[in-house]
Amino acid sequence: MSNQDTKPVELSLYKAHEKIYPREVKGRFQFKRKLAVWLLLGLFYLLPWISWGGEQAVLFDLPQRRFHIFGITLWPQDFIFLALMLIIAAFSLFFFTALAGRLWCGYACPQTVWTEVFIWLEQLAEGNRNKRMKLDKAPWTREKIFRKFSKQFLWITFALWTGFTFVGFFTPIKELSMQVWQWTLGPWEMFWLFFYSFATYGNAGFLREQVCLYMCPYARFQSAMFDKETLIISYDEQRGEPRMRGKKRREVENPGDCIDCTLCVQVCPTGIDIRDGLQYECIACAACIDACDDVMEKSGMPKGLIKYTTENALEGRPTHILRPRTIVYFIILMTLVASFGVALVNRSAIDMNLIHDRNTFYRIVDSATIENVYTLKVMNKGNEAAQYEVNASGIDGLKVVLGMNETGISAEPGQLVTVPIKIQAAKDAANKKIHTIEVTVTKISSDGSDSAAEKVKYFGYNK
Amino acid sequence: MTTEPIVKNQGFNERQIKRIFWRRMAIVLWVSFFTAAVESMVFFALFDPAYLGQLSSFGVDVSQWQGYALGFMFFWVFTFSAALFSGLVLALPRTKLAKRNPNA
Ligand code: SF4
Ligand code: SF4
Repeated sequence: MSNQDTKPVELSLYKAHEKIYPREVKGRFQFKRKLAVWLLLGLFYLLPWISWGGEQAVLFDLPQRRFHIFGITLWPQDFIFLALMLIIAAFSLFFFTALAGRLWCGYACPQTVWTEVFIWLEQLAEGNRNKRMKLDKAPWTREKIFRKFSKQFLWITFALWTGFTFVGFFTPIKELSMQVWQWTLGPWEMFWLFFYSFATYGNAGFLREQVCLYMCPYARFQSAMFDKETLIISYDEQRGEPRMRGKKRREVENPGDCIDCTLCVQVCPTGIDIRDGLQYECIACAACIDACDDVMEKSGMPKGLIKYTTENALEGRPTHILRPRTIVYFIILMTLVASFGVALVNRSAIDMNLIHDRNTFYRIVDSATIENVYTLKVMNKGNEAAQYEVNASGIDGLKVVLGMNETGISAEPGQLVTVPIKIQAAKDAANKKIHTIEVTVTKISSDGSDSAAEKVKYFGYNK
Repeated sequence: MTTEPIVKNQGFNERQIKRIFWRRMAIVLWVSFFTAAVESMVFFALFDPAYLGQLSSFGVDVSQWQGYALGFMFFWVFTFSAALFSGLVLALPRTKLAKRNPNA
């Protein structure tokens, strides 16, 4: 049959999913991973509860269309910051992947982090790996029901708390907790709470490594950032082979260091055998390193049969951290971070837009004066109501007259006000056909000045 | 998507065929969900749904939350159709191709 070229593609889709029971493991890398889990989840669960200047420190207020982040309020007009931030995140990912492989997957990805917690809860309820495997095969006794029930209880409680926290980033969490308490949640809060809880429960409880294998886009393209100098987790084949266990080892002359205990396979959360070489399923969690180091120590051999290394190092060549790829990524990353910082510091709390009246170039006010008419839009991006004054420069003796009966411009936070303005100039001064003037909107306040400016055309009195 | 020819050709059993089908559907759903989510984020960062509601030819009155939800569904329907179409086209009917192959 000629389906050879189609078959391998189908295989992964056709293969039935086998449940993986990762064995618990301790070690220096697992310690670091636990630290990362605590740090990241701590941040996630605590952040919405922190107040900053009387308001929730981090609140993505979607209905009001503004983001509060530690005293800074971002409006949709500040979209550029969001975009910049996403680009920075993407480049950090590229940079760290080129440098140290799938660090993200093993230590920081929410999928991994929440799965860790769910596995831990599972252990709490059902015991270690062997017990879990036995329990799944055993008939439904009272104990099994009790253990399975406790696991579900722990999982669901934790998932609901996660969903609640998630919604707390978008709705003030203190009000939200009151609403939950009194069971008066609005339909949207309710939906998102359950949706996110369900997603957490499903992804961390059941899908687990399948998310990494089948769903994750990063897992598919990360290899593009790899080169021979990238840190990978690898088994030292030269040293380990021929693998053999127990008695046999004494009979042959030069057994490899691998005692074929298969612990490295048992601890692997994605269920692969690292001894088969680097595989795309490997999320670089380093569990196998810790497991094997332990084995090596106990059997009196040097650690590092499985270790963080690079392809070059494996082939006996030196490894370079500084290389064109990392340098370029680093420079781009730093440039982006710097421009983000500069933009944030110089960010004005005023957004302005000035449009010249379409119908007339200029109007004659009196024998010596002309005026141009504009529509001025001012948005207050600050946190408090503000008053503004408008000035113009570029031609001697420009005078700004607010249209209608306006005496001044004032705007509530987030408000966009539209004011017609007239800018008057002496005929003698504005004697070119087209001038360029600069119009400045300044916030009237005692502390510091905040202003925005825009250059516009000014049509002069020119015969 | 005709799944029958695969049964004859590759000897997949009924259950495996079903599994392939549902996994494909899951991929289509997931990919379209993900793209729709990103699209909605970008779109609603630029446009206020409540304001769009007033401008629309139906003149519907939507709140922000309803607008976000509707917009997301709107995007998802389209990304889902596109993904489904791709999935459908990618799943070639293999029997016919196999028979034409002289080495078969
Ligand atoms: S843990 Fe180490 S010694 Fe045990 S099978 Fe794996 S590589 Fe070999
Ligand atoms: S092979 Fe090792 S590092 Fe890779 S996922 Fe499995 S346990 Fe983690």
